[in-house]
Amino acid sequence: MTPSPGQPTAPERERILVVDDEFGIREGCRRVLTSEGYQVQTAADGLEGLETFRQEKNFAAALIDLKMPRMGGLELIDAIRKEDPDIMLLVITAYATIQTAVEATKKGAYGYIPKPFTPDELLLPLRNGLEKRSLALEAKRLRAERERRLLEITEERSKLRTIIECMTDGVAVVNQDKQVVLENAALARFLPEARPNSWPAPMAALGYPELISILEEALKAGTAPLISSTEITLDNRTYMVNASPVAEPGHDPFGAVAVVREITAIKQLAVAKSMFISMVAHELKSPLAAIEAFLDLILSRPESMTAEKQQEMMERCVLRARNLRNMVTELLNLVAIETGHLSLKRTPIELGSVVEEVVELQRPKAEAKQLEMILDLPEQQDTTQVLADKEALSCIITNLVDNAIKYTPDQGRVDVSVSCDEHLVKLAVRDSGIGMTEKERESAFDEFYRAKNKHTASIPGTGLGLSVVKRLVEMHNGVISLASEPGQGSTFTISFQSL
Amino acid sequence: MNDRPAVIMLVDDDQDFLDINESLLVASGYQVLPFCDRESAFGQICRQKPDLVITDLMMESLDAGFSLARRIKQEPALADLPVIIVTAISSQLGFNFTPRTPEELKSLHADAFLEKPVPPDKLLATVRELLK
Ligand SMILES: Nc1ncnc2c1ncn2[C@@H]1O[C@H](COP(=O)(O)OP(=O)(O)OP(=O)(O)O)[C@@H](O)[C@H]1O
Ligand SMILES: [Mg+2]
Repeated sequence: MTPSPGQPTAPERERILVVDDEFGIREGCRRVLTSEGYQVQTAADGLEGLETFRQEKNFAAALIDLKMPRMGGLELIDAIRKEDPDIMLLVITAYATIQTAVEATKKGAYGYIPKPFTPDELLLPLRNGLEKRSLALEAKRLRAERERRLLEITEERSKLRTIIECMTDGVAVVNQDKQVVLENAALARFLPEARPNSWPAPMAALGYPELISILEEALKAGTAPLISSTEITLDNRTYMVNASPVAEPGHDPFGAVAVVREITAIKQLAVAKSMFISMVAHELKSPLAAIEAFLDLILSRPESMTAEKQQEMMERCVLRARNLRNMVTELLNLVAIETGHLSLKRTPIELGSVVEEVVELQRPKAEAKQLEMILDLPEQQDTTQVLADKEALSCIITNLVDNAIKYTPDQGRVDVSVSCDEHLVKLAVRDSGIGMTEKERESAFDEFYRAKNKHTASIPGTGLGLSVVKRLVEMHNGVISLASEPGQGSTFTISFQSL
Repeated sequence: MNDRPAVIMLVDDDQDFLDINESLLVASGYQVLPFCDRESAFGQICRQKPDLVITDLMMESLDAGFSLARRIKQEPALADLPVIIVTAISSQLGFNFTPRTPEELKSLHADAFLEKPVPPDKLLATVRELLK
């Protein structure tokens, strides 16, 4: 019953089911409709018609005779309508059953065609009915679409709401009538007073005059896309408030929105940074001032001092200049570490052998001060393996040994030892030197910190060595500790994870 | 010049500045007492009052010089002791302690405020002025 494959394939037209017990009507309809391009299926009675309808589905229309054996037209119409609310049903009827045909239209048939009929009398109502059906289908499609969009919008809205509620920045929206219409949880967290009990609430309910006046500014801004950034400080915390009018392009604004972000930490960082710069500037300026003052004195009144004194002052200048250069180098190291430009190449390395190298390099300095420098390494060097950057290790050990030598008076003693247990490799640098007070110990690792007392006054240094050491140790997941008492010497201990 | 040379106390944690100023002042006929920390300096002042104090500002703390000057001026017996504060502190960067008016200077308990390095002539002129 499917159209034979040989048939010319005109543009696909609707499928139509013809159900009539009269062979002549069935075939007549088929001929007329097929020639119009419709696809036609026929059935000889109600039951067969229902079966065909169920098997083939998606018929656009059905022409149904009312009086048929097995199952009458009305019954068939009922059954089909139940399963397909959109199908267009036309009743074919003899005059005798017009009354029934009217009843059929009540059941949802589009109309009826009295028998006998001409091709045109068949086609005209069919076309009208099909057109009405497709209009109805289109309307239905649009309605479904609208409903889907509506659903999406509602979903979208609740999504937006959730997003705004979850933002870490505080958000407050007011309308032109100066009412708060939206506010999120973060805002209430920052500004606990600012949570009105219900919306819309008068703007005053926000409770913070600073915030209110910023929003009022934004409301007054008109269509200009003003975005104002204002810092406000409440309870020692600093917030950045960005406010702008809320408007759709080309329309008047209908409110203003403020986004509140806590910037306390950033603020503190900025302050710390300026402090650091001031400190650097001071540290650079002091030695420069000393050099300038020495030279000024020597140049302006050479007659006031002996040649030896002048020589001594020149030597101090060289020392200060060298110290200054060291400081710049260490500063650059510090910056490299801070900005992450220092890339560590960590490889398995024997801590013991690096310590040995450094100690031997420093030994002449110790000998010049008649210090006894003793190196204590484990029997088996391979037990001191750690995962570390060789340069960094050298730098760490050099700084500690250098300090031990520097801060120990002549004839003292420096002990450098490496030991290890199952998990840790430890380096200890102990000296019998001047030691440190509790306050000095607390600041020892700070940038530029140098203990100032009668022992240290004549010892050059930049105060950056230990801050570099600490950072490098931490970059290796190591731990550094310090034990020291004034006049009792100091011990710096570093532990690394062993390999 | 009086019969005895004026005694000037220098307080600075930078040994070099003690050296520089000592050379300069000794060559100009003053007697100099160098100190590298505020505590021992103040002890000495109490024992024997010098004629003038020149102190650095930033020593063990940011404003050690100020507190030394304040302690001097608040001690009735020492209130007339002139104090010069010198500092290398960078005035461009945040900390600007440099007083702009005589009142500000007075509130710092200092009689003069000079920036390091102080040109020798300027230091000598200031010292002479304050010792008059
Ligand atoms: N072994 C030590 N004994 C006593 N004091 C020490 C010792 N090591 C460090 N210090 C104190 O800690 C301060 C900071 O040390 P750090 O190595 O950072 O700076 P520095 O030695 O002064 O200068 P440099 O940057 O040239 O090393 C020192 O100025 C000193 O006062
Ligand atoms: Mg050091």
